[in-house]
Amino acid sequence: MKSHPKKGKERVKLSRRDFLMAGAAGLGVAAMGGLLPDMLLAAKAPAFKKGTKLSILQGSYFIAPSQDLYKRQAQEWGEANGVEMSCDFLNWPDLQPKIAASVQAGGYDIVELWGGWNYLYKDNLVELGDIAEAFGKRNGGWERYVELSYKVGNRCLGVPHGYSNGSMAYRISWFKEAGCPNAEDGNKIDLTWDEYFAIGKKCKANGHPFGQALGHSTGDPPGYCYPYMWAHGAMEVEKDGKTIAFNKPQFVEGMRKFIEGWKDAYDETGTSWDDSNNNRAYLSGQISSTFNGSSIYFTAKKNQPEIAADTHHILIPKGPAGRFYWLDTRTFAILKNSKNVPAAKEYLKWWFEDKQFGDWWRSQEGYMLQPVKKYYTDPVWFKDPKMAPFREQPKYGQNMGFAGPPNEKAAMAWSKYIVVDTFAKAVQGGDAKQAIEWGAEQLKRIYGR
Amino acid sequence: MVGSDVFRAKFFSLYLPLTLYLVFLLFPFYWMLIVSFKPTNDLFDMKFSPFWIQQFTLENYLYLFQNTDFITWLKNTLIVSIVSTILSLVCSIFIGYALARLRFPGSNFLGLGIFLAYLVPPTLLFLPLAQVISELGLNNTYWALILTYPTQLIPFASWLLMGYFRTIPKEIEESAMADGCSRIQILFRMVLPLSVPGLLSAGIFCFTLCWNEFLYALIFMSSGSMKTIPVGTVSDLIKADTLFWGALMASAVLGSFPIAFIYSFFVKHYVSGLTAGAVKG
Amino acid sequence: MAANARLKSFSMRDFFDRERNLGIMLFMAYPFFLGIWLSLTDSMIGRAGQFIGLRNFVDLLTDTIFHQTAKNTFIYALVTVPFKAMLGLGLALILNRHMRFSSPVRAAVMMPWIVPTALSSLGWFMIFDPVFSPISWLFRNMGLISKNINFLGDPILAISSVCWANIWRGVPFFGITILAGLQSVPQELHEAAAIDGASVWHRFRHVTIPSIKGVVLIASLLSIIWTFADFQLIYILTKGGPANETHIFGTYTYQIGLQATEIGMGAAISLYMFPILAVFAILLLIYLRKEQ
Repeated sequence: MKSHPKKGKERVKLSRRDFLMAGAAGLGVAAMGGLLPDMLLAAKAPAFKKGTKLSILQGSYFIAPSQDLYKRQAQEWGEANGVEMSCDFLNWPDLQPKIAASVQAGGYDIVELWGGWNYLYKDNLVELGDIAEAFGKRNGGWERYVELSYKVGNRCLGVPHGYSNGSMAYRISWFKEAGCPNAEDGNKIDLTWDEYFAIGKKCKANGHPFGQALGHSTGDPPGYCYPYMWAHGAMEVEKDGKTIAFNKPQFVEGMRKFIEGWKDAYDETGTSWDDSNNNRAYLSGQISSTFNGSSIYFTAKKNQPEIAADTHHILIPKGPAGRFYWLDTRTFAILKNSKNVPAAKEYLKWWFEDKQFGDWWRSQEGYMLQPVKKYYTDPVWFKDPKMAPFREQPKYGQNMGFAGPPNEKAAMAWSKYIVVDTFAKAVQGGDAKQAIEWGAEQLKRIYGR
Repeated sequence: MVGSDVFRAKFFSLYLPLTLYLVFLLFPFYWMLIVSFKPTNDLFDMKFSPFWIQQFTLENYLYLFQNTDFITWLKNTLIVSIVSTILSLVCSIFIGYALARLRFPGSNFLGLGIFLAYLVPPTLLFLPLAQVISELGLNNTYWALILTYPTQLIPFASWLLMGYFRTIPKEIEESAMADGCSRIQILFRMVLPLSVPGLLSAGIFCFTLCWNEFLYALIFMSSGSMKTIPVGTVSDLIKADTLFWGALMASAVLGSFPIAFIYSFFVKHYVSGLTAGAVKG
Repeated sequence: MAANARLKSFSMRDFFDRERNLGIMLFMAYPFFLGIWLSLTDSMIGRAGQFIGLRNFVDLLTDTIFHQTAKNTFIYALVTVPFKAMLGLGLALILNRHMRFSSPVRAAVMMPWIVPTALSSLGWFMIFDPVFSPISWLFRNMGLISKNINFLGDPILAISSVCWANIWRGVPFFGITILAGLQSVPQELHEAAAIDGASVWHRFRHVTIPSIKGVVLIASLLSIIWTFADFQLIYILTKGGPANETHIFGTYTYQIGLQATEIGMGAAISLYMFPILAVFAILLLIYLRKEQ
């Protein structure tokens, strides 16, 4: 143990030399300009107490190289500053119990928070406004969806790093067969929900139904149901966060269309699907279109190039009230009970610098939506035209609990799958009005308290 | 002729129902086994029969050994399971023996109380326990699990052993005591050697529950490579909405088949331990 | 006489001194009392709550999701028991017969109980897959069905499917425990009955059944207590979906207490099952006492 701090110092020297060597290697003056702040930072590396440890918890990455990159970045900073870093990546459903235990009993210094969780743990998080605002300003300002949901009231309790994407993936040839114009380029298609169901009806008649998850799963089911609800003029609550605005005639009408669409266009076993079912069904050629992140497309590119070649993405369809996406903000936050708050802050500040964050964000290849406007025009989006539709997504983003804030009540409604279950009940029972009344009743229990 | 009749009778009364049971109970394992030997692209190809392997591959097992810490998980699971089983057994021997032989005020309520307290599901219990673990500074160490598992195991194990100890005639102990043996000496020199089947079945029971446990292992000990097999499998082989089915099933196979193999040597004792203990309880 | 007296005077203190004894009890009981306290507050994770009396419990009485959860739990923990007991009895009767390879066979049938639920549930998850289920595939190829079976998506099939997996996991425990009971029946009893000319059915009815009644009861009670508080299996298969048709106390507690972080309400949900479990536990202990 005694030799450890020494080791740390040696590593600092090493990393300084690395920087110098990189400079001496004859990079252009512009590149030197880019490196300079890093060098300064490395040179005046703040001294942390010997034996400082930082442990970081986040959900496992779909893009494996990105996860490795994150580990390397953390390691790099740790070695430069004499801090021992450990990074844990958990299966998504296991993230919350682990965070809960950490909030109650300590354990992690930095945790990844998903939509609404900043409200849930608001008493246990460190204010990070300075780091977040500097990051936002430096990069052209927040995207709309981040603006809506990254703060708790006026406190900023985490630094936003984006949100995973989601759109309608579809099979080009089967959409062509169903008579969808411009099927070969998803960027040129702009559909209403009615039109989307009409295509699905033809596809299903041809033996290629659509697929949609309506089970208890945190990603795809709400990702589909919330936008459909909003597009039909309904929401959980009005702006006051209290008045239920769920049981709207337009939504009942929309739900009737959905029930019909479900029968005509969809694989009806979808009531039990979770986030992973549609990936499998799509990749095995059982369904022609589904709402999902770009994970389907990426997997296909790797394992089934013929399916990837026949796949494109379109924006989620629009309804009478417009086009919506359910997007909350994911943030990196520091727990108040951490014993190393200064080190954790310093690390986050470093990680959100252009070099680190840029490398990390680009390594996601569009799987993670940009939190800040600068990356809207990033070359990543133009490498593969099939990824371009995702780029537009942030503009339509709306937080859970819209038109209210994404607070504890919205998180409760989301955790209880009220909106998703309303859809599941509707297609199981076939009665749109009854299902929506059930949902409204449940929402009243949550928001009315 | 007679032989074939006997065979036919045995076929309908024994082999046929046994086969049906084996299909019912083992089909999921057969399924896991063949999935673990299939290449990913074949898994969801509906052209082939899902019941056979079209193309045999070991890639899932290779993936498990090369890309995950499976060996470390195995080691962790073994250490935690063995030590907490031993610890639980030691405690249960004392408690079970005390309950079997001794009457003291409150002995009934003590047992009832422990039993009732653990009817509250672990989904709720783990938060307060997490606080205890963290205050003791045991987070992410083997001790975190070694100390919490017995709280779940001791009630049943001591009850099982209590039943077993009761089957040992009191007279043997009384005469030994008259010869001047102390209670502890009797327990270790006479009672325990007579109770090997009971100890085995209680031990197997404890070991199984430790081996299977998920929630506590996830909460108290899952950083870095300090994972048990169930926790490691789920956290490293499920990436967002994509499950590595082949490797998941390979891990399930490697995590369970060896145990079943070891059980085949003990199962006889397990049954006889239960017979004498729990059953006559 | 002297030995007898010493037997009687022996006390727990010989094994645990009183303080340590108290310590162990506290370590075990502390979470329980904390659970009760939490259920009487509006605590959230990381936020101490106010005492609100029985409001959480009263709130739940009008919660239709909670009603459905209670009904599902009842089906999941109680209605499955007779199936487990019958299948377990059948299994035990077979295993009790003389056969070759009896040890490997016994170990094999124990597997559903041995294998970590977290992993075997993933196997069931694949078998119940709405699109790729091998069972659907088989029936479809035999021409029995034209559409895939919606194992986990249809209201009735969903609860039946999770119960099926639950029964599958429970049968070995019943089987092996009842087998233990069968083996404790003295062979002479059967022989005597056979000499008296009793038929196979008669012997089964009057010799076998009475001698395993106790074991079946114990196994049933333990099984009820364990499955009432179950979580893992359903969590992996459905998380309580679709539309809460498979929610049980364990998963609903998790949803409210951990995901929505209303730990007070979560505690109330799980404590609702406590009286029911306590009744079963007390029945079990009374039975054991009577047997002594």
